Amino acid sequence: MANALELELKHLIIDTLELEDVTPDDIDPDEPLFVEGLGLDSIDALELGLALQKTYGIKLEADSEESRRHFANLKSLAALVEARRVD
Amino acid sequence: MSSLDDTPQHWARIQEYGSVSTMRIMVWIRRHLGRLPFRVMLSLVVLYYYICHAPPRRESRRYLERVWPLHSNRPLRWRTWVGLRHFLAFGQSLMDKIDAWSGIPIELKMSNEDRQCLDQAISSGRGGLMLVSHIGNLEICSAMSDKRDDFHVTQLMHTHNALKFNQLLDRSTLRRGPEIIEVSEITPATAMRLAERINAGGFVVIAADRVPLNDDGRTRSLEFLGAPAEFPEGPFWLATLLRCPIYTLSCLRDGEAHRVEFSPFDDTTRLKRVDRDAWRESAMQRYVDWLTDQCRRQPLQWFNFFPFWQTHDRTHS
Repeated sequence: MANALELELKHLIIDTLELEDVTPDDIDPDEPLFVEGLGLDSIDALELGLALQKTYGIKLEADSEESRRHFANLKSLAALVEARRVD
Repeated sequence: MSSLDDTPQHWARIQEYGSVSTMRIMVWIRRHLGRLPFRVMLSLVVLYYYICHAPPRRESRRYLERVWPLHSNRPLRWRTWVGLRHFLAFGQSLMDKIDAWSGIPIELKMSNEDRQCLDQAISSGRGGLMLVSHIGNLEICSAMSDKRDDFHVTQLMHTHNALKFNQLLDRSTLRRGPEIIEVSEITPATAMRLAERINAGGFVVIAADRVPLNDDGRTRSLEFLGAPAEFPEGPFWLATLLRCPIYTLSCLRDGEAHRVEFSPFDDTTRLKRVDRDAWRESAMQRYVDWLTDQCRRQPLQWFNFFPFWQTHDRTHS
């Protein structure tokens, strides 16, 4: 279920980045995670990447354009996890 | 974006000196005619560069004027002679690299303490991050990692410089050496790859003395040899994110041998998120202190021939 995974990812983001005043409802799946929207920065992206790797065993290609696409919003992130998870 | 020509001061925009063909001839001489003809040839080439390349000569002098009082308790005298020796040391380091990769045995010295530290670091299986700088000759260390099956090293390199030299090595030697990851910026994919290496007990080498072009302006100005210089925060961010033991590593020429220094620096495994900023600040200061000590002891082996103390000219978006 995509929605269950989206919720799981919302929790992962909030826990990993310790976003204390953010609730899962605050994260719109279509809104940008970085800069606008949730306002995360490039260091947050690295940390999120490491958390995804730890939790789902995901690997990414080194191409930074591709990373940017995957990390665009919660939906694209969920699609990435769906496609690449190894658990 | 600025063009490559209008801001030549940044190290990444300076061509590494020496064309590949000159270097090939040098490698050939070293291999086929031996050490002495090579030294003569190298001295001539270095002399030529010293005379004909004013910018690195000027930067070398600026550096030497800063470091010399620390090194010898005296201001810099015989400036041309010391400057020439600085350039010769750089030429020598190129020769040592070629030797290392050609499989010519190199004498490596290491104190008992450092050797134990390295053995423990390897056998713990926890891997780690090794902070290095552009002082001395790290390729020699990489050659050392060749000799140990349990010592896996991944070197993080900025894409711009050093490419030429590596091309040369790849074509003319059989050795594979450490895994090199070339990046212009650290992406989540890079961080994940590095974490994978460390989780497997490997070591990641990263230089923390040069500011990359795409650093999002994440630099910190720290007092280094008497004046503020910009240092990259990136390696220290990585150190907090990767949560692993951190070490310092250097390889300095000591007479005819090389001295490898490997020391524990810190451990970020249990570092709390709220303490990160404070940790980074203190870690960067400790790194600069370490670097200062390296320069003080071996002043001529500092190979940053670009304006180190000038605020780096970068375009902010």
